[in-house]
Amino acid sequence: MMDVFYNLGLGFAVALTLKNVFFCFVGCLIGTLVGVLPGVGPVATISILLPVTLALDPTGALIMLAGIYYGAQYGGSTTAILVNIPGEATAVVTAIDGHEMAKQGKAGVALGLAAIGSFIAGTIATIVIAALGVPMTKMGLLFGPTEYFSLMVMGLVFAVVLAHGSLTKAVAMILVGVLLSCVGADMETGRERMSFGLHMLTDGIEFVVLAMGIFGFAEIFKNLADPEKRDLVKGSIGRLWPTLRELRENIGAILRGTGIGAILGVLPGNGAILGPFASYAAEKRISKRPQDFGKGVPQAVSGPESANNAGAQTSFIPLLTLGLPPNAVMALMVGAMMIQGIVPGPQVIDRNPELFWGLIASMWIGNLMLVIINLPLIGLWVKLLSVPYRLLFPAIVAFCCIGLFSISNDAAQVMMAGVLGLVGFALYKLQFEAAPLALGFVLGRLLEEKLRQALIISDGSMMTFVSSPLSAFLLAIGAVALCFAVLPSIRKSREDVFKDA
Amino acid sequence: MLNFNRRAALAFGVALLTSTSLPALAQTYPDKPVTLVVSYAAGGGTDAIARVFAARLEKALNGRVIVENRPGAAANIGTEVVAAAEPDGYTLLIGNQGPMAVNPHLFKLKYDPAEALDPIAMIADAALVIVVGPRLQAKSMAELLEKAKAGELVYGSAGNASASHVATLLLGQTADIKLKHVPYKGAGPAVNDLVGGHIDFMVTTIPSVIGLVNDGTLTALAVTGSERFSELPDVPTVAESGLPGYTASAWYGLLGPKGLPQDVRDKLAAATTETLSDPEFIAKLKNDGGVPSNLVGQALADFMASERARWGEVVKAAGIKVE
Repeated sequence: MMDVFYNLGLGFAVALTLKNVFFCFVGCLIGTLVGVLPGVGPVATISILLPVTLALDPTGALIMLAGIYYGAQYGGSTTAILVNIPGEATAVVTAIDGHEMAKQGKAGVALGLAAIGSFIAGTIATIVIAALGVPMTKMGLLFGPTEYFSLMVMGLVFAVVLAHGSLTKAVAMILVGVLLSCVGADMETGRERMSFGLHMLTDGIEFVVLAMGIFGFAEIFKNLADPEKRDLVKGSIGRLWPTLRELRENIGAILRGTGIGAILGVLPGNGAILGPFASYAAEKRISKRPQDFGKGVPQAVSGPESANNAGAQTSFIPLLTLGLPPNAVMALMVGAMMIQGIVPGPQVIDRNPELFWGLIASMWIGNLMLVIINLPLIGLWVKLLSVPYRLLFPAIVAFCCIGLFSISNDAAQVMMAGVLGLVGFALYKLQFEAAPLALGFVLGRLLEEKLRQALIISDGSMMTFVSSPLSAFLLAIGAVALCFAVLPSIRKSREDVFKDA
Repeated sequence: MLNFNRRAALAFGVALLTSTSLPALAQTYPDKPVTLVVSYAAGGGTDAIARVFAARLEKALNGRVIVENRPGAAANIGTEVVAAAEPDGYTLLIGNQGPMAVNPHLFKLKYDPAEALDPIAMIADAALVIVVGPRLQAKSMAELLEKAKAGELVYGSAGNASASHVATLLLGQTADIKLKHVPYKGAGPAVNDLVGGHIDFMVTTIPSVIGLVNDGTLTALAVTGSERFSELPDVPTVAESGLPGYTASAWYGLLGPKGLPQDVRDKLAAATTETLSDPEFIAKLKNDGGVPSNLVGQALADFMASERARWGEVVKAAGIKVE
């Protein structure tokens, strides 16, 4: 344990040099900006900035790029809460209750809780990386295709169990999401499925495109079709800061979200994206008023936001300890390291301790900066709501389009989001919720991939899912949850977890 | 001051004239940014090499070179974009064995890469490495082959028809062993499962595993190139390890749309040659697992044709077919 403090001391000595504080600040600022702008994500931003980092020293470059990544997680909640458009894929959950709070004139409180929750999560995640990086890596490695599949099944069961509002509709939406995730080339044979010969569908649908369509564009159609509801948001701005009492009520959710997010963040294949969903489900489960979820419950904002930020940070663990990138942003970080001549892998910690510990320490400094950048901005963001919608929505659409285009420099993605926007609007009119669809989509992709990988390895034997102790344990939890769901007494208290705003 | 403005205005006028009314000439080329299309997402191996190359090419050409990622459809989208572009030297492509040599055997393409693209110059050659993890305790290629004969081994790949996949297919065919293929979405998750002991081995790019090899987490059994790789001097080639004639590598060439003006081609080829002889560039390339490989014009076309024929046979023998 003393080692951790010694190492963190070294890290802070590196991270607190004027130059590195500056890079950290620049990264956080850019990150906040791209997070706030819907669709413009850290992947596009970091790939654009990658050549620029050539001119910087390795530590400074990585500190800045890392700042962009977790800064974007902070910023993403802003658009989600204010205009119900998740700027980042992980902010989908935040939008559900966050935007509802904004409608009730509690936008400032929601933004404040998101920022404070993210800060606490960031602080804890920094310590987790420093102290538990190596054991957490080992835990991540336990998850092969078999175990991962069982984890996804458990997640799916929880989603079904908890999405109780109108169970049939929620299940239908999850299945549609799973179905949509199957679009594109088959991973094993390369054969195209449901792509109708269209180039833009051969690699499947991008999650950002889906989210931007069924949430972002659909929300705009909704508002244009229904001007009265929109004015409701505009009319009441209310308090800008959460009270101490609100903070006390949310600290549990923040800590639970941090724990859930931190664990899921280590998993390969972008497990961090599951954090907010899992946290929302957990908060709903233990809440005394589950029926209010979806109507603006603060814990439904602070929990998932903390999970989101904690996961964003712990996803650095496999990168730092093994040189293995768990998601696209981390793959770019690998690229940035290699440009600098640093071979990512287990030796980084020994050969470049100042880089390793400096980067970790900078995350905490970055989180502090983000709170300092974001809290004063809340007033400004909230004022944005008083801008007439006829001026606001063209700007939102324009930014969405830029972001969508930047995914692969392809206009087809923008069109696809437009079409999905119409789908989202139709779903809203028919009173289907979009959030279960998004969850089904995220889980579906991993479910198929891991199921097939597991079965190839086991020669097609289903026993592999029970013979692995970890997998069997996860499936058992799922089964128990399912049993509880069919017990009528518990069914009574079911409510719509993923009820959309 | 006045003088300066007048001169600037004149220069501007000349630039305007040449860029709008005259075809691209070697004297003026490039007079606007050159777009270098990469058919893969940012952050991958091809992207890394393209960015290192583009940065040095800018100096050689004395003009801006912008890397544009157009990923999708197994690199066919980006390739198609360049195949359909104006052959003026302002839209170029980094092509590798995937879209150039493997995909024509798998997909019904709207273009034939050998017909629709002008090969300018080869840039780099990157051998792959065969690595085993904790699940398969093999110390040498011979041991791996022995274990493979005793029972089907499971290997991971960076995806269906990726270099990592076809190189393993060739390995299986050359050694006459049966192997089980687990496709992943990119090298990262596959290496992860290799380290976790969920799969036996994989053939992958050197940068994706070199850190883990140096650390002893993974064992490198052989490199797939015709020569050993300088950063892994103790690791033999596959050919040295009892499978003579086996080579497989990822290679990267600079191509443009068919019909590039000869002077533009010459200028680009010369700039590439200059880039490839820069020690600083070579060092950066080595980080990405590559060595410079300078084949110009027809020589590159011939090389690509032989690769296409070779991988065609491998793919056919493996029975891979995409509708």
